[in-house]
Parts: sequence; C-alpha cells; structure tokens
Amino acid sequence: MSDGKKQENGKSFFERLQDPSMLRTLFLTIISLVAFLIIWQLASDWLNLAYLPPPGRVWDALVLSFQVPDPTLGTTMGQNIVASLRRFLVGFALALIVAIPVGLVMGFSRTLNDLLRPIVEIFRPIPPIAWVPILFVAFSYIWGPVLAITIGAFFPIVTSVSFGVRSVEPIYYDAARTQGAGRMAIFEKVVIPFTLPYMMTGIRIALGVAWMCIIAAEMIMAVGGGIGYYIWYYGFNGPYDNFFAGVIVLAVLGIITVGLAEYAENYILKSRGMK
Amino acid sequence: MLDITNLRKVFPKEAGEMVAIDDFSLAVQNGEFVCLLGPSGCGKTTVLRIIAGLETLTSGTIQLDGRDVVNSGPDRGMVFQEFALFPWRTVRKNVEFGLEIKGVSAAERKTIGQKYIDLVGLNGFEEYLPKKLSGGMKQRVGIARALANNPEILLMDEPFGALDAQTRNQMQKELLRIWSETKKTVVFVTHSVDEAVYLADRVVVLTARPSRIKEIFKIEQPRPRDRANPEFIALRKQILAELEEESAQAPKLV
Ligand SMILES: Nc1ncnc2c1ncn2[C@@H]1O[C@H](COP(=O)(O)OP(=O)(O)O)[C@@H](O)[C@H]1O
Ligand SMILES: [Mg+2]
Repeated sequence: MSDGKKQENGKSFFERLQDPSMLRTLFLTIISLVAFLIIWQLASDWLNLAYLPPPGRVWDALVLSFQVPDPTLGTTMGQNIVASLRRFLVGFALALIVAIPVGLVMGFSRTLNDLLRPIVEIFRPIPPIAWVPILFVAFSYIWGPVLAITIGAFFPIVTSVSFGVRSVEPIYYDAARTQGAGRMAIFEKVVIPFTLPYMMTGIRIALGVAWMCIIAAEMIMAVGGGIGYYIWYYGFNGPYDNFFAGVIVLAVLGIITVGLAEYAENYILKSRGMK
Repeated sequence: MLDITNLRKVFPKEAGEMVAIDDFSLAVQNGEFVCLLGPSGCGKTTVLRIIAGLETLTSGTIQLDGRDVVNSGPDRGMVFQEFALFPWRTVRKNVEFGLEIKGVSAAERKTIGQKYIDLVGLNGFEEYLPKKLSGGMKQRVGIARALANNPEILLMDEPFGALDAQTRNQMQKELLRIWSETKKTVVFVTHSVDEAVYLADRVVVLTARPSRIKEIFKIEQPRPRDRANPEFIALRKQILAELEEESAQAPKLV
C-alpha cells in the first residue's frame, strides 16, 4: 500500500532529472536566462544610460548590500528582507484568517453570498495601492503596510475558496446525506476537504499579488527597513545599481514563495486523490 | 417492510409540469430483493431518490417499518452508479464515514468498518484512495459504505452500469453473496433485463413516463441462477417483450 504512495509522490528531484522532457526544460531555462543576461549586457553597453547598469555592477551592488548597511537607509539587505517578510507574513496570515471563512460561507450559503458578494465586488477592482495612504493615517506606520498586504491577498483567496465550495459535485452531498450527515457535518466533512485544493490555488495566486503589494505597502515609509521601500528609494534617486539589486531580491522572494505554494498545492491534490 | 402507496412526483417545467411518477404502489418485504426495471428516463432514479429522502414526493406515502419516510437518513443505504466515493478518503475512511457522523468511537469504527471491508472482499486495500481502485472495487467500497450503517434497506441505482460486462457479472454474484450474508432488503434499479432476472426475487417493470407499475414478475428459480437454463431464457424474453413495448411507446425517451 505504501509502495503505491511512494511511487506517486516519492520521485526525488534527481530521479526526475533523468526524465528527458525534464532535462529539456532545464536546458531551455538555462538558455533563456543566459540569453537574457547577454542582451542586458549588450543593451547596457550600447545605450550607456545611467538607469540601465550592466548585470555585473548590479551583482556587485547586490553582494555589497548584504555585507554592509546601506549608507542612506541604514539597513543591510538581510534586514530589509526580514522586515518585509515579517510584514508580509503577518499581513498574509490576516488575509487567510478573514478570507477563508468568508469564502467558505459565501460558497455554502446562498443568503450570505447574496449579502456579501456586492461588498466584495465593490472593493475588488480598487488597486490595493490606493488604500496605502489612508491605511497609514488610520493604522499608523506599523499596521498600515501590513494591512495593505492583507487587502491584496484577500480577494484571490475569497474567490478561489467560494468557487471551490460551489464546485462540490452534488453527488457528494447526496452520498453524505444518505450516510446521515446534516448540514454542519456536510460542511465539515465534505465541503472543507473538497475545497482544500481550491484554497491552495487561491493562496498561490494571493502570494503573487501580495508581493506586488509590498512595494505599495512600503511606499511611504518602512521602519526597520524593507525591500519595497529600498526599491522605491533607489528607483527615484539612484544609483540604479541598487534599484536593480532590490528588484532581483524581490523577484527571488516571489519565486521561492510561489514555488513552495505550487508544490504544496500539487502535493495536496495528489495525496488527497484529487488529481 | 417498505411500503409505497400512491406515490406521485411532479417536476416543475418551464412550461407547465412534468409527471415523472404516478400512481406507484409497491410493498417490499424484509429481506426481499426487488429490481425496478424500466426504460431509461422513466423515473427509476427518482423513485429511489424519494425513498432515500434525497427528493421530496408530491403526494402519496412511503413508510419504512410503519414510520413515514421524511428526510434522508442512514437507515436507508444508497449505492450510486457513479460510486460517489469521497476521493480524499481512503477505502477505510469512506466506509467509516457514516459511523463518524453517528459519533462512533474510533476503535469501534475500525472494528465495524473492517467487518464490511472484509465482507465485500477488500481486505488489504484499506489504505487505498478510490482513484487507485478499479470500477468493480470502487463499487465494493460503495456497498461496504452503505452497509456499515447497518441500514434497514439497501437502495442501489444501476450500481454496475458503469462496469464492463465481465466485472458486472462478477459483481452480481458478489452482491448475491453479500445479500445472503446480511439478509438486507434490497431495491435495485436497472435497465438490464438480464441483470434483473439474475438477481431479483421480484422484477417490477415500469411504464415509460410517467412511471407506473406495468407488471410484476416473481422469479422463483433457485440461486445461483443459470443464464443458459431454458426457464431463465424464457423469462428474460417475456420481460424483454414487456419492456420493449414501453420503449416503443416512448421513442423520444430512447
Ligand atoms: N430534479 C429534477 N428536476 C426536473 N426533472 C427531473 C429531475 N430529476 C429527474 N428529472 C426528470 O425526470 C425523468 C425521470 O428521471 P430519472 O428518474 O433519472 O429516470 P431514470 O433513472 O429511469 O433514467 C427524466 O425525464 C428527468 O429528466
Ligand atoms: Mg437513472
């Protein structure tokens, strides 16, 4: 029995590397990245613009930013990452705490959906950045940026979760009812487990959005540093080596978190027999 | 005993209404195996869903051991053509579902669950997820899950309809074995004459919509039945003729 499970999830990274299509993907990824660096270098050489430094200089700035505190901002890149990550995690956790229950009840109860849907739809199209100044005024410099991330992450989670609940196939309700399940038991033992993979999809999308919001969140100020603030500052003032260094750090953070979420999503789908 | 009296079911339609079942009365004895046989779309599933409490009736009464059937409940186990297993639950967890709902302790759940897993011949597959199982095995889980609640009656809606012919025959044999071991009352819906004649104590042939009882055949051949037996073949022919009359009368349903 456990053999079957192992076959499915237990393929190690190196085993998968043996797969020719995997190798091909890896090969093309490397080509793509190298080509990108070459074009960047050439463009920088030819155009010779202050705001387009060559990759080598950006790399030096990046390395240096980790080694010594930034002369103007007073924080190292490590401290910036920690500060942003903290805001990010708290803001994201708040979004989860609010959005998951809201999505569940919106999916499950027609009445609550009709009550909540208009409000969600009013606020959804407003870019989270619009809220940043007023959040600063209302919640000060500690909670303001955190809540900007919460707002960004909220909508994708609500949408995916309520969609997941509405995707529960009626046959599962029938099966549960003939097993003696009432409304609450159905919610707990059918709706929530069925919705879990949808929730993970929402979380993956929300992670991407939330990283975009970190820039907005730290637009005005970032006490104790912040990667968003760092990008803002150097994007306006230069040197642009630092701006690009900040962008690279943000990109890597985004890729790691979204990649982890993607992995978790796949794992959950597979281990629960839903893929 | 299951007692259905003057059952009528009307579905609302864009223009007017559609009578799915009309004037349907049937008494099923305890331990009896009854097959409902009728052309596709005639209302067999609807009858079963009403008995299960998944669908309301328009008029008439349904009583199980003298009590009116009003809502769904674990005293009527249902087995679905589409299996309807919970994909995120292992075989064991699927079978234990109803016991969990009832609040049975984990230890007792395991004992009861195992008994029915063994009964349907799935010993060794307890920790498998449904998607790893063949169609026949999935339906074994469906049967075990329905039986684990120790229902008064087993309702089966074309349970072997999605299986290939060979598996289907094998499952019919298995079902008869399980039935004789548990002595449950079974109401089994099918559109296969062969299946009905092979399984049932009584075959209830339904008319095309609205579903009424056209004729009831008592099958007295001892089990296991031999499909090559001339009596079996004759009976099958007779019922088939009856059924084809209905299908012919409702060509738009086929
Ligand atoms: N919930 C429903 N609403 C409206 N019409 C329905 C509903 N369920 C079944 N019907 C209709 O009732 C008729 C009988 O359906 P069904 O009981 O599924 O037939 P069978 O199982 O014999 O093939 C069909 O014409 C079907 O379209
Ligand atoms: Mg049907």
